[in-house]
Amino acid sequence: MNDAAQDLAQALGTFMEEARELLAEMEAILLRAEDGSGQEDDMNALFRCAHTIKGSGGLFGLDEVVRFAHVVENVLDRLRNGKLQFDSDLISLLLACQDHIANLIAAIAENTEVPVARSDQLLSRLQAVLGTGGGAVVAPPAAEPHSSEAGIGAGDGGAMGSDHWHISLRPGRQVLQDGMDPLAFINYLSQYGKLLHVETIVDAVPEFAAADPEICYLGFEVALASRASKAEIEGVFDFIREGSQIVIVPPQSQISAYLALIESHHQDAERIGEMLVACGSVTANELAEALAVQKQQEPHARIGEILVEQGAVPPQVVEAAADQQKRVEEKRSGEARIVKVPSDRLDALIDRVGELVIAGVGTHLQISRIQRPDIQESAEVLLSLVQDIRDMTLRLRMVAIGEVFSRFPRVVRDVSRELGKDIELRVRGAESELDKSMVDKIGDPLMHLVRNSIDHGIEPAETRMARGKPARGTVELRAYHESGSINIEVSDDGGGLDRDRILRKAIENGMVAPDAHLSDQEVYRLILAPGFSTAAKVTSLSGRGVGMDVVRSNIEALRGTLDIESVPGQGTTMRLCLPLTLAIIDGFHVGVGSSHFIIPLDMVVECIELPPDVGDRGYLELREQALPFVRLRELFDEQGPRHPRPRVIVVRYGSRQAGLVVDRIHGKCQTVIKPLGPLFAETPAVSGCTIIGNGEVGMILDVQALVRLCAGAGHGKHAKN
Amino acid sequence: MSTELLAASRHVAGRAAGPDVGDTSLYLAFRLADDVYAIDILRIREIIEYSVPTGVPMMPRSVRGVINLRGAVVPVIDLAVRFGRTATGVGKRTCIVIVETEHAGALYTLGLIVDGVNAVMEIAAGSIEPAPAFGTRVNADFIAGMARVNGRFVIILDIARVLSIDEMVSITPPMIET
Repeated sequence: MNDAAQDLAQALGTFMEEARELLAEMEAILLRAEDGSGQEDDMNALFRCAHTIKGSGGLFGLDEVVRFAHVVENVLDRLRNGKLQFDSDLISLLLACQDHIANLIAAIAENTEVPVARSDQLLSRLQAVLGTGGGAVVAPPAAEPHSSEAGIGAGDGGAMGSDHWHISLRPGRQVLQDGMDPLAFINYLSQYGKLLHVETIVDAVPEFAAADPEICYLGFEVALASRASKAEIEGVFDFIREGSQIVIVPPQSQISAYLALIESHHQDAERIGEMLVACGSVTANELAEALAVQKQQEPHARIGEILVEQGAVPPQVVEAAADQQKRVEEKRSGEARIVKVPSDRLDALIDRVGELVIAGVGTHLQISRIQRPDIQESAEVLLSLVQDIRDMTLRLRMVAIGEVFSRFPRVVRDVSRELGKDIELRVRGAESELDKSMVDKIGDPLMHLVRNSIDHGIEPAETRMARGKPARGTVELRAYHESGSINIEVSDDGGGLDRDRILRKAIENGMVAPDAHLSDQEVYRLILAPGFSTAAKVTSLSGRGVGMDVVRSNIEALRGTLDIESVPGQGTTMRLCLPLTLAIIDGFHVGVGSSHFIIPLDMVVECIELPPDVGDRGYLELREQALPFVRLRELFDEQGPRHPRPRVIVVRYGSRQAGLVVDRIHGKCQTVIKPLGPLFAETPAVSGCTIIGNGEVGMILDVQALVRLCAGAGHGKHAKN
Repeated sequence: MSTELLAASRHVAGRAAGPDVGDTSLYLAFRLADDVYAIDILRIREIIEYSVPTGVPMMPRSVRGVINLRGAVVPVIDLAVRFGRTATGVGKRTCIVIVETEHAGALYTLGLIVDGVNAVMEIAAGSIEPAPAFGTRVNADFIAGMARVNGRFVIILDIARVLSIDEMVSITPPMIET
């Protein structure tokens, strides 16, 4: 019982997830349509999104979602058939509808009250578009005259008599295990028309004792009076198509179509025949005739061939069906390319793989001591395989930053409309990868920066024209990898930061002394201070001065930095530089005393020996330049064995160089960064740790912080010495 | 591994299966310097043999470093230093008790260096007395109570207080003293 409830909850969770993806797709398509870059299949895709949400919503009994999505679907159907044209108002309305569906689903997920009033409001606007008059909309009316141009009804000359659809459904045995109830699908059919008769085929049900309650043994023969198109009726069964046998015979079909149906179940042809009679789809006479004909036919002719051969279905229907099938196939193969895995499982896997690598290295070390080339060789192979696996496992957590970027087109659209600006968003480097946990955390800071660019950065169109710039502003999001970190830039071609105004405001606020001399950089960084805002008026978007300092602290919490570049009159670039946490970094492994340290390799310039004559000075001469250095042994108070000839690792950060004196150099290694946890959050010199080959823990040095620390302590140190 | 350590380990491992006996709780007793301390066994994840922790630079002396516990990096705390005494020496029976404590709503795993584990003992809630205001060698804030077991006083530690991350972080020593 509990399990069933849990399964349902899980299935519902999957539905929510899927719906969110579909909604995101709808949004993307609508935005594309708006700026005229729509693709050929967009209208169909849009329709499918709404249709799928409605369909799966119906399965879960989410009536409000179904009620709403149904009307949206109708509108989209007309769009797809060219009966309606996109215009900017319609796109806005559809975007609002898409938001509303998202809200409905969120309300269900959070168990809060479903905003029905909003549905009605949007529905009446949709109805206006559909031209069926305003007023409240009842749940998908059963006999609503559906647009059936894709069907085989009126368009093909065959009069719509009192005849009905016949649907032969043999759900796959696994449907119940997949969480689908065939009954729900049959009930759902009544949305398209009237169920005249349902005959249940129980022949396959085994003895009670032998029956597995999780297997669906049943089959159904359904007579349905509906004006829906074949595609629509087929669409009902999208979710159980796989593994199921579904034959849909349109009204007014020739007897051969029923024959084909019978033929397709050749193992129990008589039974099916009876069912067809019971459903009133054929008469007993016709059946007898049909069975007689069948005997003369090829026993295993394919149903499609028979159908076409006999002209039972018009060719466009076959084409549409084939097309539909192809789409379903494509969708399925798309799904197969992505597997969703809870991230804690991934983390556990990565941990274990890390252990595996360490154990592998240990074993390898042991084996290298015994003189057995054959064993050594196989250990070699094993180790390299293990390392491959580690690399692949680590990549599992990396996701393209496009996931974050994808929500910005909508933001830019909405915000720029609200402000009455015309702004184009350009996205570059969306494929750059970074750790999933980072992706989750940079969304909000980026959002803020983008809004800021639109609100403060881009000037009003008149000002732009006066300055000789195109009226349309550009905001660009760009991501790229640079030496072990990822840079994300938000740039605009607006007016740039107003140095004088920032400085004036800062002096007004008492943040800066009136006579202070500040570099451009220093002035720009003032905008990151808490409570700082130069906006003349507070808008709903910004100007309250609480934004940028939050952005800065969020980014610093990720051990990232935020740089500001600005050219007056030409624009501003905000550059986030973030580490790729958890990604493997290339490290440089050194030893001090008995401890192991890792220096990020991209910071290492070269290694030299510490000149013996350096004494207790804090600098040495390197190619006629003074290089300040720090002795890690003393700084970290390391005991362990001392090396007679210590080495200096020359590191570079930004434009500065410094030396780190270590005892031993172990060389380059691939390093899996492990966080040190809250206890070490304040530790200045160490940014994380890793487990090195022999199972010991090595500290990853935060070179920048280390040097800053020494620079700050430099005076005291000399005084003491 | 000493036999008592083994027995205690088994007890820790099997604690979930054991019946809940009235209002008595199980405690792990361990030695530190000359005193016997006890920790609520529900806080304890496992007991491992001592291995030399890797020092983390510029941390207070009470943080001895970190160890690799099956791929997880776990900080190791020297309780003696935390209690304001000299660092725990390493002997034959020294071991590391892995405990879980809460920080910012998440469980955080820490190791404690102890001179040796004694046993898992049942202590009835009624027999636990409040800590004396002074006279113990441990800061009274760290003590959840005291109980008399087998004719000897056992100090029951308030692990949440003893291992408060916020407090341990705040006593980071002055950054550089070279």
